[in-house]
Amino acid sequence: MTDRKVPHVTCLGCGCACDDIILSLCDDRIVHAERACQLGVAWFDDGRVPARVQVGGRDCGLDEALDAGAALLHAARGRALVFLGDDITSEAQRATVEIADHLHAVVDGVVSEPAAAGILAGQRRGRATCTLGEIRNRADLLLFWGTDPDQRYPRYRSRYALYPVAFHLPKGQRGRTVVSVTVGSDKGPAEADLHIALRPEDEVVALSALRAHLQGRELGGLATLSSQLQQLTSLLTKAKYVVIVHDGDGGDERRSPERAEGLITLAQRLNGPTRAALSTLRAGGNRSGAEVVLTWQTGFPFAVDFSRGSPRYRPDRRGTAQLEAGVLAAALVVGEPAGFPASARDRLGRISTVVVGPRASEAPFTAKVAIDTGVAGIHEAGIGYRMDDLPLPLQAALPSPRSATDALRRLADRLVAAEARR
Amino acid sequence: MSAPTRLRIVRGEVYDPANGVNGEVRDVCIEDGRIVADLPQGAPTLDAAGMVVMPGGVDIHSHIAGSSCNHARRLFPEEHSAEPTMAPRLASGELGARSGTGGTLPSTFTTGYRYAGLGYTTVFDAAVAPVMSRHTHQELEDTPIVDSGFFVLLGNDEYLLRQIDSGERDRARDYAAWVLGATGGYAIKIVNPGGIQAWKSGQRNLTGLDQQLGSSRVTPRAILETLTDAGNALRLPHPVHIHCNNLGVPGNAATTLETMQALDGRRAHFTHLQFHCYGGSPEIGWSSGASRVIEYVNANPMVSADVGQVMFGPVTTVSADGPHEYLLYATSGRKWVNIDVELETGCGILPYEFKERSAVSALQWAIGLELFLLSADPWRVVLSTDHPNGGSFLSYPALIQLLMDRRAREEQLKRVNPALLAGSALADGLAREYTLSEVAIVTRAGPARLLGLRHKGHLGPGADADVTVYVRNHDIAKMFTHPRYVVKGGSLVVEEGQLRRAPAGRRLRLRPEYDDALLPDLRHYFEEYSTVSFENYPVQGITDDPIPIPS
Repeated sequence: MTDRKVPHVTCLGCGCACDDIILSLCDDRIVHAERACQLGVAWFDDGRVPARVQVGGRDCGLDEALDAGAALLHAARGRALVFLGDDITSEAQRATVEIADHLHAVVDGVVSEPAAAGILAGQRRGRATCTLGEIRNRADLLLFWGTDPDQRYPRYRSRYALYPVAFHLPKGQRGRTVVSVTVGSDKGPAEADLHIALRPEDEVVALSALRAHLQGRELGGLATLSSQLQQLTSLLTKAKYVVIVHDGDGGDERRSPERAEGLITLAQRLNGPTRAALSTLRAGGNRSGAEVVLTWQTGFPFAVDFSRGSPRYRPDRRGTAQLEAGVLAAALVVGEPAGFPASARDRLGRISTVVVGPRASEAPFTAKVAIDTGVAGIHEAGIGYRMDDLPLPLQAALPSPRSATDALRRLADRLVAAEARR
Repeated sequence: MSAPTRLRIVRGEVYDPANGVNGEVRDVCIEDGRIVADLPQGAPTLDAAGMVVMPGGVDIHSHIAGSSCNHARRLFPEEHSAEPTMAPRLASGELGARSGTGGTLPSTFTTGYRYAGLGYTTVFDAAVAPVMSRHTHQELEDTPIVDSGFFVLLGNDEYLLRQIDSGERDRARDYAAWVLGATGGYAIKIVNPGGIQAWKSGQRNLTGLDQQLGSSRVTPRAILETLTDAGNALRLPHPVHIHCNNLGVPGNAATTLETMQALDGRRAHFTHLQFHCYGGSPEIGWSSGASRVIEYVNANPMVSADVGQVMFGPVTTVSADGPHEYLLYATSGRKWVNIDVELETGCGILPYEFKERSAVSALQWAIGLELFLLSADPWRVVLSTDHPNGGSFLSYPALIQLLMDRRAREEQLKRVNPALLAGSALADGLAREYTLSEVAIVTRAGPARLLGLRHKGHLGPGADADVTVYVRNHDIAKMFTHPRYVVKGGSLVVEEGQLRRAPAGRRLRLRPEYDDALLPDLRHYFEEYSTVSFENYPVQGITDDPIPIPS
């Protein structure tokens, strides 16, 4: 039995942010997510979320919780962590960064170590990239570097990269060449036209060799690898539009932090002989949105420290590390609390912690104030960002227990008022 | 209440060129956010005796909000780290001011505060990829005080080019109207017509007006004609805003003139003209081509321009002109961002520095000044630095000084590298000094008129109460850097030189009508090629209504 269907829903199950999902609803539950991949199905689930508001583990009204939360956070002004978690809209992210600004807090979030390394590499070098639709419509050579997107980004190939019959590629997949470079034990796409297996210790050298080839030079000491890399260089330079795909959030196995920089420069240098872009796969939950919002409000994409009253960039000393070091007195965790790093959760129970987000009342740590909200894109409308920083509308297919954006704005108002009284 | 609803600015020397007021001492009356003819006795007053009163500044071409600006912000953490900015201390009861960072592309709140602090109250972002407009609206919402809008990039759009290729010019016009409405944009922007598409498809660039894009019938000329006609047929308040082919290339003045001639008799705006006024050729090198171009502009009343002055110092080049940015990367090796935006446009970002000791920088600086000083009609040749490309908007006061003060100009001319200045009009001596009235034209009245903003850029009854009050100073740069008072929409945002209030600005946008016979074909195109659902493409929830287009 279906009550109604909601079309054109954007899924935040991974960074693909597919916006063609059709949700079937029955009794305010999701019974089917048509077109969604298995990650999407799991992300939408049945749409049920808790709707509690608690102070000290006791149920109460929203105003009481906001008053209590504001008092706790205000008391820790200059020594607070604000954590940007998954599954909130960009509107809620904006309100969260505003709170951090007023609190002179340290901002951290669900930016993985590999993602942080990639951002920093991009700040040193720049990057040649494109939005996913350009891959769909132009890429005639796809180089998957240490990744098989099917695992963590299941519809990447069907929607964006490989299969579509496209504007400049009327033959679709038949017009595209696929190369897989795997490193160590990671998997590449099965249908690769060329497969090169690298030992982890050879990865950075191989990237250097490819760049050297583009300058007409050869690196010595690569033995049998050399001819395969020459073959790859030849494929790359003969293609019209090369897209190098890698997983910016890392898979199960940690890779060299120099990978990102090597791939960035390779993609840049291919512009000249041909056209090329680096596509960095990123996780979902509107993480890209958090980086975008922080950048326009502060100038920095993550690891922003407001403790001196204005933004400072501290990628070397992130907020969760400061929390673990015991120098912070309060924390505001916004978004899905399950994403908070396990290593620092204990600390949250020992300071004044406020959680606002989906399933806040079921957080895997002790919080003094917990405010359950809807999930962005399921219960809460707004804007969410795809992995390529393209903004998409999020729909409220189901009624929300309460709006995260609204709760955060009201919290911000209370903090501003408290500061004015000071 | 953030400000008195009534205010009489008394005894100021008023420069309101749109209403023929040239330095007369008179009162300016404000009620409920608008200029009114008079106020009852007893209304609050602001003493502007001996001060200069102008409408609030209007920036016709800047880059302050949008995905490309934000990519540029992300690229330069070192600039932001060097310039943290505390939240301004606003008047008592004015809560929630925000901190930020500066640099060539400041954070959004800081951008709004700085523009207002300079006496500017209206700003347009000149280049937004339509598919990213949802993002731009969010940034503009976080850019306080100034009223703002943006121009949408259409000169390399695949759907549009397809219509041109198949001779469907009416459908191209309807599409332009649909995009403006769907994105909440204000004007049509063309950047390097066809050249970005060529860059993306391996053809590298288009350098001549009749060069074909691939094997299609699309040429820069066809794009320019189609979109210029579309803008005029749709009666858009601002005509099509054109960044010509061959930006930054020696000899490009010929391309610029050819482009102007191609659009002969049509209303069209040519942006950052300085970057398109080079004589010489790539083989023999650079010279000034300003005189030839400005002569044409002077003689053709349908043509307008903003100058895109170069100011010495570090800048960020950020442009949809991907092939141009690539050339800067290939020759400088500096850090570089290129982003190809699906089906629509591109984006390139690179740091750069204009140096007095660089011969080319000095020539570019001189060419901009030549355009200003040889312009016969300040209403049609207005001020811009193409922020942050030619210089920051913060350098406008220094630029105004160069225009008003011949001695300051000649002092600087003595310092710059003269190697390429032989034969330039500036080096030969241009005596002209802008008057305050002319400054008021090129910084507010003129841009407002070119933008078709009837309520901006003047102080007649019914105008938006955007007013800037300066204290006269023989140091003109200082005078324009620190206005004593700035009123925005009736709210006194700068008092005694200090930012005191930061109300939200409004969005200036259009929703032109179109023949909806377009929609089935457009929907089909989206289904075939776009990664964004047709239904999800239009931006929803913009609070300010579209500005009506008079029929």
